[in-house]
Amino acid sequence: MNPRRSFAAGTGLFILLGFAALAYLATQTSSVANFSSGPTYDVVAQFDNVGSLKDRAPVKVAGVRVGSVKSIQLDSQSMEAKVTLAIDTRYNDIPDDSFAKIMTSGLLGDQFVALSPGGSPSVLKNGSRIINTQSAMQLEDLIGKFLVGGSSPAKSSSTGAAGGKSGG
Amino acid sequence: MPIEAVADALVEVRDLTTMLSGKAVFDGLSLDIPRGKVTAIMGPSGTGKTTLLKHITGQMRPDRGTLRVDGQNVPTLGREALYALRERIGYLFQNSALLTDYDVFENVAFPLRQHARLPEVLLRNIVLTKLQAVGLRGAARLMPSELSGGMARRVALARAIVFDPMLILYDEPFVGLDPIALNQVLKLIRTLNRTLGITSILVAHEFAAVRQVADLVHLIANGRLVASGTPQQLARGESDWTRQFFGGEADGPVPFQYPAGDYAAALGFTGAAA
Amino acid sequence: MSADMKSRPPRGGMLVDGLAQVGDCGLFLLNMLGAIPRSLRYLREISRQIWFVGAMSLVIIMISGLFVGMVLALQLYYTLSIFGGTAALGTVVALSLYRELGPVITALLFAGRAGTAMTAEIGLMRATDQLAAMEMMAVDPIAFVATPRFLAGVIAMPLLANVFSMLGLLGAHLVGVTWLGVDNGTFWSNMTSNVDVWKDIANGTWKALAFGVVVSLIAVFQGYTAPPTSEGVAYATTRTVVFASIVVLALDFVMTAFLM
Ligand SMILES: Nc1ncnc2c1ncn2[C@@H]1O[C@H](COP(=O)(O)OP(=O)(O)OP(=O)(O)O)[C@@H](O)[C@H]1O
Ligand SMILES: [Mg+2]
Repeated sequence: MNPRRSFAAGTGLFILLGFAALAYLATQTSSVANFSSGPTYDVVAQFDNVGSLKDRAPVKVAGVRVGSVKSIQLDSQSMEAKVTLAIDTRYNDIPDDSFAKIMTSGLLGDQFVALSPGGSPSVLKNGSRIINTQSAMQLEDLIGKFLVGGSSPAKSSSTGAAGGKSGG
Repeated sequence: MPIEAVADALVEVRDLTTMLSGKAVFDGLSLDIPRGKVTAIMGPSGTGKTTLLKHITGQMRPDRGTLRVDGQNVPTLGREALYALRERIGYLFQNSALLTDYDVFENVAFPLRQHARLPEVLLRNIVLTKLQAVGLRGAARLMPSELSGGMARRVALARAIVFDPMLILYDEPFVGLDPIALNQVLKLIRTLNRTLGITSILVAHEFAAVRQVADLVHLIANGRLVASGTPQQLARGESDWTRQFFGGEADGPVPFQYPAGDYAAALGFTGAAA
Repeated sequence: MSADMKSRPPRGGMLVDGLAQVGDCGLFLLNMLGAIPRSLRYLREISRQIWFVGAMSLVIIMISGLFVGMVLALQLYYTLSIFGGTAALGTVVALSLYRELGPVITALLFAGRAGTAMTAEIGLMRATDQLAAMEMMAVDPIAFVATPRFLAGVIAMPLLANVFSMLGLLGAHLVGVTWLGVDNGTFWSNMTSNVDVWKDIANGTWKALAFGVVVSLIAVFQGYTAPPTSEGVAYATTRTVVFASIVVLALDFVMTAFLM
């Protein structure tokens, strides 16, 4: 009986290991890892252009993840992109005049929303609106700007220096 | 030769015809195996004794003819019915065919584990009894690769009888046995037959051994039954067949050569005859 | 049953023989699938086979995964640094492993390590009359020998592929982060925002499952139909590796093109 038992135990262990590997890969190395587990509150920000920002992209303050992009819709009145951010409730002290920028991690990396805290005493709450936003930096625009010598073609809001790309 | 139908035949072969690789192994073979007796099947090497056993157990199907075992026509049986029949048949393979994954004990226990839900203690007792009967109880935990040919043969025998079947087919059970083991196996075959009434079909070449246990001997050659009778009758050698076979003469009705073309031609002496 | 499955004599051109083999193989698969209900009686046998084909392949799979991940990180770091994109190292390594290298390399190793063993074992069982002995003991060798091995292979392959990918990730992390100095946070966060559970991990696992089916089928079929001689078993074992590798690579292309 003994050798049989050990076969069964070893087999069980192997199957467990295989599923553990699958579970690890699925939950720790994929976008599932970005799902915040706790409760969140929604904040809206409007951008001229979201570039390739995607649902569930991270929202970061000073490089620390505080939430994720919940939805991206077109606001039919202003013809701007209306981005809903889901912020973890434990980060309930972000000033309401914070600045939202769409940035890219590295040159080829993914886009995320970076919040630069302002100085207002009142904070962002569920349903708040972020006024100060800056659109995604488009590679073509950058190149165009570089070639033409600084005259930004179609961007209305002020574009920061290219140095803003170092985030991530 | 005409066969007089046995009153109570467990196996009834009629007009069996089988071609293998273009050669007729059986050519209208008919014979009866009486219930509760030990019947020996003898014949020159390559006449199809093993093939006949495979037909009886449905491992091979004939081209023509019927083959009844306990009333059921084997070639027409479906899988379920065939397996149900096989559960009542023990088969000793010419080359033992032990399962190399399992030790001796588990090999003998295999049919029991597959077809009977027995408490472990009972199963153990049955298996050890059978191993004791073939003198190998001490080898229960050896693997098949650790056995000699004769030992493997005896383990296979224990496995074939573990279910106390209604019919046992022994394909050359005496090969590779020393005289002591041979006597034990002979005694075993006799005991199984006399005490449990198990019908036995024995394929063997050793006439000296066969005449000690067999009630009836069928001699087959050239795809047909050529002689049959008690060992004593056959030993008297009343026909050419028996005289050649039991006298061991190379020339006679049974050709020693496997069918072949002209010998002289094969050696390159073509046209010599002309 | 088994008598019909015996090796066939050659019947004509290579094409005809090849097609006949594919047909036989398909019938054999149907036979095995039909035997699954009966095989479930032999759970212990299935578990034993998972041990042999799965657990016993772990070491080779883990070592290979580690080295593949390491070399992948080296090569991709070099390529990505040309574009200043080393932040994407984690993503690229993970996607290559999950979508492609994990399933494919695992399948090739599996064919060599476990497939050949299955073929040789079953071929020898046929040659030594063990399959016939089972038939005589009213045990269907398809249900008792073929199907448990097949199922074990199908179960073990995706698990092994995931272990391979996990070790590959570890290797890539060792080289990329510990050695080449890619930022740890970047390595992971870039990966987590780009790897999709369904598109990448689940699809990779489906691939591995499909490879498990074809490799195990080929291995068991070759063993079951091998001519009962030492030469026959040897050829069958070779054929398992050759056929399994070709079919895996071809199927990989098809699945990538149409499913991912
Ligand atoms: N699978 C097969 N395919 C083709 N021919 C076969 C096959 N099995 C047996 N034969 C042929 O059938 C004939 C009978 O073989 P079989 O094994 O039944 O002989 P046998 O009487 O048992 O001989 P022996 O006493 O040597 O064991 C032989 O001529 C053999 O060539
Ligand atoms: Mg024989």
